[in-house]
Amino acid sequence: MRSGLVGVDRTQMLAITQDVFAAMVDGGEVLVSARFGAVPEVVDPVAAWVDMSVPSLGFGARAVVRTDRPTADVLTRALLMMGDDEHVGLDDFIDAFGELANVVGGNVKSLLSVPAVLSLPTVSGQAPVMEDNQFIQDIALDWRGHVFVIELWMLVLEPVA
Amino acid sequence: MYVLVADDSRVMRQIVIRTLRQAGYEWNIIEANDGQEVYDMALSEKPDLILSDWNMPNATGIEALQALRQAGCNIPFGFVTSEGSSEMREQADAAGALFLVAKPFTAEAFREVLDPVLG
Repeated sequence: MRSGLVGVDRTQMLAITQDVFAAMVDGGEVLVSARFGAVPEVVDPVAAWVDMSVPSLGFGARAVVRTDRPTADVLTRALLMMGDDEHVGLDDFIDAFGELANVVGGNVKSLLSVPAVLSLPTVSGQAPVMEDNQFIQDIALDWRGHVFVIELWMLVLEPVA
Repeated sequence: MYVLVADDSRVMRQIVIRTLRQAGYEWNIIEANDGQEVYDMALSEKPDLILSDWNMPNATGIEALQALRQAGCNIPFGFVTSEGSSEMREQADAAGALFLVAKPFTAEAFREVLDPVLG
């Protein structure tokens, strides 16, 4: 099973996200925890993802971060040390939320069993269409009362000789 | 110290600069958005040190480093990247990088790699 090449478990996904938020946002304090219970319905969803490709083997992995726009704006303000009421522009939102996916994905890539090539991040108002690909796992997280979901998918690629 | 910090993310450049200050380095910093700018600004501005992301548009950090070394530019160069695999560390070392700091990083992580370089 090629999915075995994406051998990253939920505990590792939680640890990566805790490290990322502690170092980049929360001044060393761990404020991210696993969420138990249903993830609330999102009114204004946003998603950011990076791909880790292994073209020679015809597979890859995608790390997706999902939340809502107000939460992404809170994250952006924290990363840029903006005031609580400061307006978050589209460019700053895309940059900050995409960088979160980039750092999470880069750390996931380090845990893959084969070397992969990391893409630049994509940020969208919709989750990526993943119909031909294989869901690996996800984890819902609480951060300062906000909800993030981290998903890991296996991508089926055209093999390159 | 005159230092070039390169990352295609403005947010990450700010975090790197903020963390360098937390680590005690009050440097004069210039910024680059991609690997091509790293190459151009290294040759035109001649910084004392380059801290660069790896995965950037136009040219990657490793491509910029290789091009600089081929051009005879030996400015000390370190990577600050979300990808810290052993393969990438070996590739960075082979290209002439002094260190690779993996994101997410702390002020202590910067001190560990920079203090030996600064002497």
